[in-house]
Amino acid sequence: MSGVVITGWSTTSPAGVGRAALVDRLATVVGAAAAGTAATGDSPLVGAATAVPDGAGWPVEPPPADPVEVTALSDEPLPTPTGHALVDFDVRAHLGRKGTSFYDRATALAVVACGDALRDAAVEVDDTNRSRLGVVLGTSLGSFRSTSDYTRETLVQDKPYLVNPVLFPNTVMNCAAGQAAIRYGLRGVNATVATGPLAFLDALRYGTNAIARGYVDAMLVGAVEEFSPHRAWTTWLTGQPGRSIPTGEAAAVFLLTRADRPDWAGPRREAEVLALTTGYGPGGGPAADQALTGCVTRAVRRAGVDPADISCVLTGETDPDDTDEYAPACAALGHVPARMRVSRLFGRCDAATGGLALATFLASEPPEPTPRLALLTGRSPDGGTAAAIVRGWPGAGASDR
Amino acid sequence: MHRVVVTGLGPVSSIGIGVSAFTDGLREGRSGISPISSFDASGFPHRNAGEVPGFRPETLLRRIEAARWGRSGQFAAAAARLALADSGLDPATVAAGRAGVVVGTTSGESVVVEAVTAQQVEAGFGGMDPDLLGQVPAGRLAHAVSTELDLAGESLTLATACSASNYAIGYAYDMLVTGEAEVMFAGGADSVCRWAHAGFFRLGALTADACSPFDRNRSGILTGEGGAILMLETLDHARARGARIYAEVLGYGVNCDASHPVAPDRASIANCMRAAHRNASIKPEDVDYICAHGTGTPANDSVEAQAIFDVFGDRVPPVSSIKSMMGHTMGAASGFGAIAGTLAIAHGFLPPTINWSTPDPALAGLDPVPNTARETGVRVVQNNGFAFGGNNAIVLIGAVE
Repeated sequence: MSGVVITGWSTTSPAGVGRAALVDRLATVVGAAAAGTAATGDSPLVGAATAVPDGAGWPVEPPPADPVEVTALSDEPLPTPTGHALVDFDVRAHLGRKGTSFYDRATALAVVACGDALRDAAVEVDDTNRSRLGVVLGTSLGSFRSTSDYTRETLVQDKPYLVNPVLFPNTVMNCAAGQAAIRYGLRGVNATVATGPLAFLDALRYGTNAIARGYVDAMLVGAVEEFSPHRAWTTWLTGQPGRSIPTGEAAAVFLLTRADRPDWAGPRREAEVLALTTGYGPGGGPAADQALTGCVTRAVRRAGVDPADISCVLTGETDPDDTDEYAPACAALGHVPARMRVSRLFGRCDAATGGLALATFLASEPPEPTPRLALLTGRSPDGGTAAAIVRGWPGAGASDR
Repeated sequence: MHRVVVTGLGPVSSIGIGVSAFTDGLREGRSGISPISSFDASGFPHRNAGEVPGFRPETLLRRIEAARWGRSGQFAAAAARLALADSGLDPATVAAGRAGVVVGTTSGESVVVEAVTAQQVEAGFGGMDPDLLGQVPAGRLAHAVSTELDLAGESLTLATACSASNYAIGYAYDMLVTGEAEVMFAGGADSVCRWAHAGFFRLGALTADACSPFDRNRSGILTGEGGAILMLETLDHARARGARIYAEVLGYGVNCDASHPVAPDRASIANCMRAAHRNASIKPEDVDYICAHGTGTPANDSVEAQAIFDVFGDRVPPVSSIKSMMGHTMGAASGFGAIAGTLAIAHGFLPPTINWSTPDPALAGLDPVPNTARETGVRVVQNNGFAFGGNNAIVLIGAVE
């Protein structure tokens, strides 16, 4: 056990800004899904013949959410007019104009979520503690839009060097983490993990390590992905025709600290990070199935829990028939817990997927509040795998402080 | 807690590919700067960079097919392949999952992003090649190494810009110290690209022909590229297999300026040095040589030197910049610094700062090892890495006691 606890969090997601917005959204859809399941008495069978039938547990996976009109977010034609985005998000409404005018969307989503998570965890940053507090964020490649637009300027301007120097830092993948540090004065470990669908779980592992090794006392751990025509077209062009899940966006950020540091942990401890494991199945396919099964097996052993007590697997799967994470997880657990694919609620959010999964787990308190265990999984197309086991405690409260 | 040693070196650089050629390049003070050939630089006022025109991935890679991976991934995989060969390790003797990879980068698969952006400009967003879009994620840098070497352990890409290799070496060190792994491949990779060339030019940070760090007339960086991977393993593991041990990783420190996206911060850099010394259990007077970040911009070299003076007082060790030879290889830069520092210890010499002619009165007291390598015993090396976003990371490497 890591001895690292989560004492606050926030998301900027299609549900809105702040944890209360997410809690409200989930109360509606998970509650409705649970009522539907109870009425039929069946656990739903999903997907192709090889798929694992989903088990019973909490939270109950709702049907896919309807995407919204997103054309306002792009001057370029989009492959589809809808997606899962926070269309009316305006960073100035949250942080003001000062210092935010050159933020790209990914940076804005992340910096707002970082500030909200600090507030939610009741952490006051000052000169006595700022060097002991850090931030690690996950991404796929930073802002694809910022980077691509910058290089586009070198192609379309009269002279290839007529780029805007002020926007140059936005092309670097650590932009969001660096701006979060500047905004809130966070001088501890500052890192950016760029592993796409694994990035949140890798960030969780990176942040937990930084705390366990004593480099910092607390870390903001999160991940971000912005909606842009670049990502929307990537989803469209690389997905299966007609089956692509809509592109989504979100930032999810959590405050982690040591359980034995009351000065940081404060009065509210929502969850404990019990185990984090990673692996690689070269070439993907069966090697990656095996790598993920291995990750889950090691995570269970490290967490010191009975796998039968894990009631829910939150996966990064996006395709309706996909059991690439669920099947290896169930094989390792030896039973079939409930599955939650957060991409059904928030669209394809790549690096932010794992963060949304953890937030969804924490935000969906079951009707009978008891301590509960969740397994989070991630998998990349090349064969990267990751697993986390988190224990959620009841009564954490639904609202931002 | 395990001790961690360096047993394999894999440089793919403009001054030499492979440890032998790279060592010769450092000793000779070779310049790897040449007219840019990887993109059309004719519209730029400055047209030189530290490319690796002699890089033939197909001659170095054994498992991965170069065409399926971006240039930065190819650099990382080739460098790791060289490091493995240099170490004499048979990877089949390492238990599955006990050997992992951490690769640092600034711009990930920048050449691929530029290629799909050119397609956008030509044919609209729908004209982007799906296969190339699949090569865009930065996480593929580490995955290229894991696939090339058939490793089932962690496969992590860290995107902390120009100090990313030191972050990678530091994190790999933690994984070995804590027993998470027995062997780790760590370092970084980046590719020369139009957008970085344009961005640095517009920041006023790009020089024309020769990078001359610590010289009074220094006028900026030259962009560079390459892959720099070190094979690290626990001392026990190295001794059990009778490995040649180059040096020991003593520890590292990371912090964040939290003040400005691009300007370095003297006090913060000094604090990072102190943290690195503390974590490595050494004192400033133990350091025999500082492999500087030394970009050759007026601001960096001045701030870096002042921070060194603050920490080292009147006992400042020699400080040289290998960027004078290779240009700024971005995410690979501190990986090359770590390799150079390791070779300094193993062979007893200091790599020079080439292109140096005029002392800078503001840096009086700083010995840049001008122009010619110096034969001398070296026991402890401090390898500096700083970055956009205020991401400072410093690794300490020492002779094995």
